[in-house]
Order: sequence, then structure tokens, then C-alpha cells
Amino acid sequence: MSNEQKSSGSPIVGIILGAVIMVGGTYLSLNAKALGVGGIQETLEGQGIPLDFGKTLGTIGVFLILFPVIKSFFIKPLQDAIQERNSDLERTFTEAENLRTEMERMRSDYDRRLAESEASAREQIQSQIREAQNLRSSLMAEAATRADALVQQATAEIEAEKQKVLVELRTHVVDLALAAAEKVVGENMDSERNRRLVDDYINSVEVVA
Amino acid sequence: MIDSRVARRYAGALFQAARAGEMVRAVETDLGTVVDAIRSNPEFRHFTMTPLVGRDDKISIFQNVFGDKLTSLTMQVLRLMIERGREADLESVHAEFVKLRRSEDGIVFATVTSREPLTPEQKVALVEKVELRIKKKIEPEFVTDVRVIGGVKVAYDNYVLDGTVRGSIGKLREKLRYELLKQS
Repeated sequence: MSNEQKSSGSPIVGIILGAVIMVGGTYLSLNAKALGVGGIQETLEGQGIPLDFGKTLGTIGVFLILFPVIKSFFIKPLQDAIQERNSDLERTFTEAENLRTEMERMRSDYDRRLAESEASAREQIQSQIREAQNLRSSLMAEAATRADALVQQATAEIEAEKQKVLVELRTHVVDLALAAAEKVVGENMDSERNRRLVDDYINSVEVVA
Repeated sequence: MIDSRVARRYAGALFQAARAGEMVRAVETDLGTVVDAIRSNPEFRHFTMTPLVGRDDKISIFQNVFGDKLTSLTMQVLRLMIERGREADLESVHAEFVKLRRSEDGIVFATVTSREPLTPEQKVALVEKVELRIKKKIEPEFVTDVRVIGGVKVAYDNYVLDGTVRGSIGKLREKLRYELLKQS
């Protein structure tokens, strides 16, 4: 507020001062000789410096009059534009900083999640490995048990089959031996031996009293 | 078709009639004669069994062949069986009649098997021993069979008195097999 009052007051003072200087300068330019500066101007002009103090003051006064206008129509918008540009840049920087912070946060969050996922995956893999190892051990034990049972069963079956074959063989040997005995006895049997056999049997028949 | 129930009925009626007339043995002999003729002569068997010959013709032939050899009771039964188409049951009637006669007399039929025919002394001694053992009279049928190898075997009802070499070897075989099985 104070800046606005200051800025609104300064142009009027400048314009008034400029008008006074412009008028004073014009008057001086028109009455240079009368005011005692004609000799100085002529001296300078003789030295190659054509300087009219009155016109110079008048020009300065015009400049002081035009300066607020220039300031209002050119410098002020330029300052505003620069200020707006600076604000935009600051906002952009702020947004960029915010984005960067957000990105950092997201990145750290992502890193944390990634680490958590990796840890979880590692844990799951380890768990699966442990489970697979347990399953392998269980299957190995079961297979070993089954193999032992099969071996025992096969051994028992082989032994039983061996005994069966042995008995069949011995039975066959007995049959062969007895068949041979029958043949030998039959070939050596004659009437006298047969008669004795019959008599012996008749005498051996037990009679129940 | 031979019907054993029919044969038993005919045999039972004939046995009762024969026993009443005290001619059981004679009737048994008559039936044996007829059955022997049927068994030994295929042509006579065919004549007796075929349905192509009329019943009167069969009766007439039987009368001519056996009329003077059989008792009148036997001829009456033969005539009755031929009239009723029971010629095929003649052998069964004879067997049933023999069974009835043995049962009536308390006699047990026994088959005596030996390698060679037994001497009369051996037959008498064996029959006496067996009768004393089973406390019944026996009616032996002596047969020879070289498969017994040696010794003698007496079979009656469902029993066997085995004194043959084959029987001894068989017992030995069973004993050895039993021992083998017991060891295994």
C-alpha cells in the first residue's frame, strides 16, 4: 500500500518538476544571452562543443514528464511480466521440487516394496525349498520302506516257491522210486512168493474177540 | 430207460413171493440164467431190448427158450415185465433180488482180489478169518488182477482189507508224502 502511494505520488512530482524544468529550459534557451550563459555557450561552440543549456534542460524536463508514462506503460508491465515469470518459475520449481520429492518418496516406497517383495519371494522360495526337501525325504523314506517290504515279500515268495519245488521234486522222486520198486517187485513176483504173501496176510488178519 | 425204483419194486415183490414159496435160491438162479444169456449173447440182448419185436412174440420166445429151465414164478414175472415194457430192468431186478436175499440172510458181499487164483484152502481160511473179523457171513466173489502185484485184498460194503503189495506201496507213498509235507 505504501509502495503504491509512493509510486502514485512520485510521477506527479516528476511531471511537475519536468514541466518546470522544461519551461525553465525553454526560457533559458530563448534568453541565454540575457541570463549570462550565452558567452559560455559560444565558448563551448568555439571549442567544437555546440551545447545549448536551455534545450538540454528542456529535454531533461520533457524526459521527466515522459518518464512516468514510460514507466506506467512499458517498465511496469515489463516488471510485472518479469515478476510473473519469476513466480511461474518459482512455482514451476516448487512443483518440480514437489514432484521430485514425491518421486523420491515413490521411489523409496517402490524400493521398500521391492525389498519387501524380494524378501517375501525369498522367504516363499525358501519355504518351497524346505517343503520340497521335506517331501523328498518323506518320499525317499516311503520308497525305502516299500522297497524293503517288496524285497521281504519277494524273498518270502522265493522261499515258499523253493520249498514248493523242493517238495514237488521230493514227491516226484518218491513216486519214481516207488514205481521202480513196484516194477522190480512185480518182475520178481512168482506163484510161490504170491502164495506166501497171501498166507501171511490171512494169518495176520486180526480177529476181534 | 432203467428205473432203479421200478427194479426195486419188482425185486421186492418177487422176493416176497419166492420166500413164501421157499424158492429164493431157485428164483435167484433163474434170474441169473436169464441175465447171463442177455449179457453173453448180443443178438439175444437186442431181441430182448428192442421195441420192434411184439410183446407176444417176446413172451413166446422166452417161453420156448426158458420154459423148461425156470420156475413158474420166474416165468410169471418175466411175462409181466415184458407185457409192461420193462425188459431193460431185468438186470437191475436181478441185482436188487440178490441184495434182498443177502440182506435177508445177513450176508455181506465181498470181492476178493488176488494176483493169481487162490487155492481152495486159502479161500476157506480167508473167508473164515473175514467172517470172524466182521462177525457176519460173507458171500465172496474171487477175482484176479495182476495190478495188485502180490497178496490179497478183500472189499465189502465201504471197507477194504488190503494185503496186496500195491496197497503196501500205496500206503508207503502216502506216508512219505505226508512226511514231506510236514517237513515243508
